[in-house]
Amino acid sequence: MKKFQLGEFEEIVMLTVAILYDDAYGVSIKKEIENRLGRNVSVGALQSALRRLEDKDYLASHDKDATQERAGRPKRYYKITSLGKQAMQYTKETRNSLWDAIPSVSLDVKFAKLFNA
Amino acid sequence: MHNPPKLFLKFFRWYCHPRLVKPIEGDLMELYEERVQELGKKKADLQFIKDTLLLFRKDIIKPAEGTRKLNHYGMFKNYFKVGIRNILKYKTFSFINVFGLAVAMSVCMLIILMLADQKSYDQFHSKKDTIYRVLGTPEIGSWPFATVPMPVAETLEEEYPFIEEAIYLRRGVGGDASINQKTVELKGYFTNSSFFSVFSFPLVEGDKSTALTAPNSIVITKEKAYQLFNDKSPLGQQVKFEDRGLHILDIESGNPPVDWGTYTVTGVIDLSAYKTHIKFDALVSSSTLPRLYQDSLIADVSENWEYYWGVYSYFKVAEGTSHDQVQKALSDLSLRKYAESEELSEFQLSGQRLTEITPGIPVNNEATFRLPEIAYYILSILALVIMVMACLNYTNLSIARAITRMKEIGVRKVNGATRKNLIFQFLTESVITVIIALLLAAVILYFTKEAFMNLWFNKYLNFELTTSLPVIAQFLVFAVIVGLIAGTYPALFLSKRNPINALKSKDLSKGKWGLQKVLNVSQFVVSLIFIVTSMVIYNQFKHYTEFEYGFNSENIINMPLQGNDYDLVVNELSQISGITNISAVDYIPATGITNVIELQNQKEDEEPLVLLNYYVDENFIENLDLKLLHGESITSSREDGRYILINESAVEKLGYDSPQEALGQIWKLDNDESSVQIIGIVENFRASLLINGHEIRPMSLSTGKDKLNYLNVRISEGNPLKTIADIQDRWKEIDPIHEFKYDFYDNELSNTNLAIFDVVTIIGYISFLAILIACLGLLGMATYATERKTKEVGIRKVLGAAELKLVLILSKSFLTLLGMSILIAAPLSYFINKLWLDNLPNRVDFGFETVIIGSLLMLGLGLLTIGSQTLRAARQNPVESLKDE
Repeated sequence: MKKFQLGEFEEIVMLTVAILYDDAYGVSIKKEIENRLGRNVSVGALQSALRRLEDKDYLASHDKDATQERAGRPKRYYKITSLGKQAMQYTKETRNSLWDAIPSVSLDVKFAKLFNA
Repeated sequence: MHNPPKLFLKFFRWYCHPRLVKPIEGDLMELYEERVQELGKKKADLQFIKDTLLLFRKDIIKPAEGTRKLNHYGMFKNYFKVGIRNILKYKTFSFINVFGLAVAMSVCMLIILMLADQKSYDQFHSKKDTIYRVLGTPEIGSWPFATVPMPVAETLEEEYPFIEEAIYLRRGVGGDASINQKTVELKGYFTNSSFFSVFSFPLVEGDKSTALTAPNSIVITKEKAYQLFNDKSPLGQQVKFEDRGLHILDIESGNPPVDWGTYTVTGVIDLSAYKTHIKFDALVSSSTLPRLYQDSLIADVSENWEYYWGVYSYFKVAEGTSHDQVQKALSDLSLRKYAESEELSEFQLSGQRLTEITPGIPVNNEATFRLPEIAYYILSILALVIMVMACLNYTNLSIARAITRMKEIGVRKVNGATRKNLIFQFLTESVITVIIALLLAAVILYFTKEAFMNLWFNKYLNFELTTSLPVIAQFLVFAVIVGLIAGTYPALFLSKRNPINALKSKDLSKGKWGLQKVLNVSQFVVSLIFIVTSMVIYNQFKHYTEFEYGFNSENIINMPLQGNDYDLVVNELSQISGITNISAVDYIPATGITNVIELQNQKEDEEPLVLLNYYVDENFIENLDLKLLHGESITSSREDGRYILINESAVEKLGYDSPQEALGQIWKLDNDESSVQIIGIVENFRASLLINGHEIRPMSLSTGKDKLNYLNVRISEGNPLKTIADIQDRWKEIDPIHEFKYDFYDNELSNTNLAIFDVVTIIGYISFLAILIACLGLLGMATYATERKTKEVGIRKVLGAAELKLVLILSKSFLTLLGMSILIAAPLSYFINKLWLDNLPNRVDFGFETVIIGSLLMLGLGLLTIGSQTLRAARQNPVESLKDE
């Protein structure tokens, strides 16, 4: 199986783009992440992540809607490609399989503390 | 609408990748607008600045080279590839180009090496830019002397505050230093104690600041120190010095030794490790001089402003002193000292930068043998002529072959290549060719360098042709420049084509062939001039070596007496059986050194007459087979310095109508009170250098035993080597200190012409290269022309043309070309050579036959070149040429 590389922030951006579906452009993605996760996202970090994802062919983009409040600049809308979908799926599955492999006792924090002591 | 901070917006637009700039700017504006509503303008501005700064990261910034340059790199790769393929595809042409360029480049590289060597002289002095040498020009228009009057240095230092230190190097140290029965010859200068603070020569042993302070101090070179003391430390050793009047450049044979006292060695200098124009074995402290003056061992010229032949002066100026300031001070000094002078009213001092001495302007009385700048200019011009010829070959062949490149040019143009791109492509190709030529040139240089080092004059000039990194860098720069020059015209010419015509392979206008012919003709014209010139110089050289001097130099060896007693040596040698005769003379006639005497008539009412003079012994006339025409010869019974023989020219010069009239006449010597009587007349013989004058100068032979420096020993023909060995054995008994020196007279005479032979070698080599390159060019053109006509030849053959006829048809245009070259070059070379030859004394006969031989030689080579191609084409089986396709 082909290996998919997806960083933590990249994964969040992918998921957010998926959530926003038809309305995923720079500002909306930024706001959605800030609202849902309560963390600050700089334009720079977001754009650089989008760039990397586009380079990996996980995202595709097109420009439209040059509006007044954007000083006549178009919005660049992002969509998940099928390769991007596979990557997200792969990440999710590896996570799940890891979760499944955890024995229940290791998450018993009290026991762990005792053990450490 | 609100406006974000302009500066940062601009900054963002500048660094952002052009593909991203619009949507991201849109995002930034949207956010900014929102924030202005929510947080107010100030906070929105701050946020905006933060955002633009945080966007400045790797994925967003445009690539540093810009998007365009990437493309250029790709094209460059393509040019390179196509260039290499083209070179490999047309091997004959590439070979002609590369070989021609390489040959010419190797000559240029040799000159770069020579100049690099010369430029490296005196570069090690830490204050080299503030050191000057004083030159003295005795009269307006003459060459300056490197020597100036002795008081100049001291006066300069005292009277001009910006001159920090001034020193002199006074000639006159030349003799034997001895310690514990060991004797070594030392030649050098007297100099001031500040010698070592002006120049940066380090001392291997001794203290620089005090080495030349005390009287009777001597600093010697490491080499001489080893000869004298072996491994013992020389410092503080006392050596005895006996002066023999030896000259620093080793011209004189030496006088009998005169005791100059003992000297303390205060320093050892490793002179051979430094490249400098000053050469010496020893430096003696100038504080020694007063004692030598007192004992009349050396002439006191320390206050003499008229004697400018024996002292070199150098000075160091304060940092920041301009050249003008220096010149002004020196002209000021010369004005003050010489304006009133009777004989030297035009005497002019001037400053020469230390770094401009080698290579520099020609000066008289130079401290070491050097080639003046002008020689390098001439050599460079010769090399450049060759280089231009090779470049013309490249240009010519590239244009001739334009038609084969037309399709490529057309396709490139249709695909959007601009003229600039094509020019760049063709220049790339020419530079590649030249770089390959550079490699071959380096190989050729390796061999020519050896040959060059073996030339006669290198014995005196000591060229060290070493290849260092900066020199290699110069070679590369030179190669690129040559590539650009050779490639420019073809690049401009080829890129001009209209794509439609280019694709149709049409448009090869007749006019361009005309240009190529002009270029080819000019190459052959230059070649023929070179060939004829080198032949003339060679003939002249042969004429000089076979010259009849009017005396018999065969089987005579000349040996310097080296200060030994004449009677003693003659007595010892006359016992050797192989010797048939011995005579003696002060300087060997016709080898370069001449002395004169001035004769004054009895009444002393006229200008004294100058005669060339040799002091000889009584055997000289007989030994050299000179012919005594009238009167009697010198005999041993005659008193010294009283009687002279004169030659036929002198009879005329002294104003006598017949030789008989001159006999017995008495003349006064101008420089002292004594007078001389003419006792005989000898037939004219040549005693000055052939190159110095056509006329046989009026000459006298005088008696004077104490002046004799050389013995002329005539040895019998039987076994010369054994006789010389016998003489050597005797010599060891007579003078155990000095080595036996001798040379055959014939040898010495032909040595005077070796400089001419070097010129023959150089010009000959250059003309060989010129004709080689011209023939290569012709070969290229002929190859190309015949290749393009194979079909025509095939058809003609099928229709029944004879081979000879075909050869003629194919060669016709080239034959006219050669013919034209000869028509232009033959008279031209005749007049050019006539021009310089007419100024040469004792010249060889030069007529049209030399020009004709040269022309035939060139014609032969040209025909061979053309014939090789046309014959091949004419012989080809028509089936071969017609069936291809």
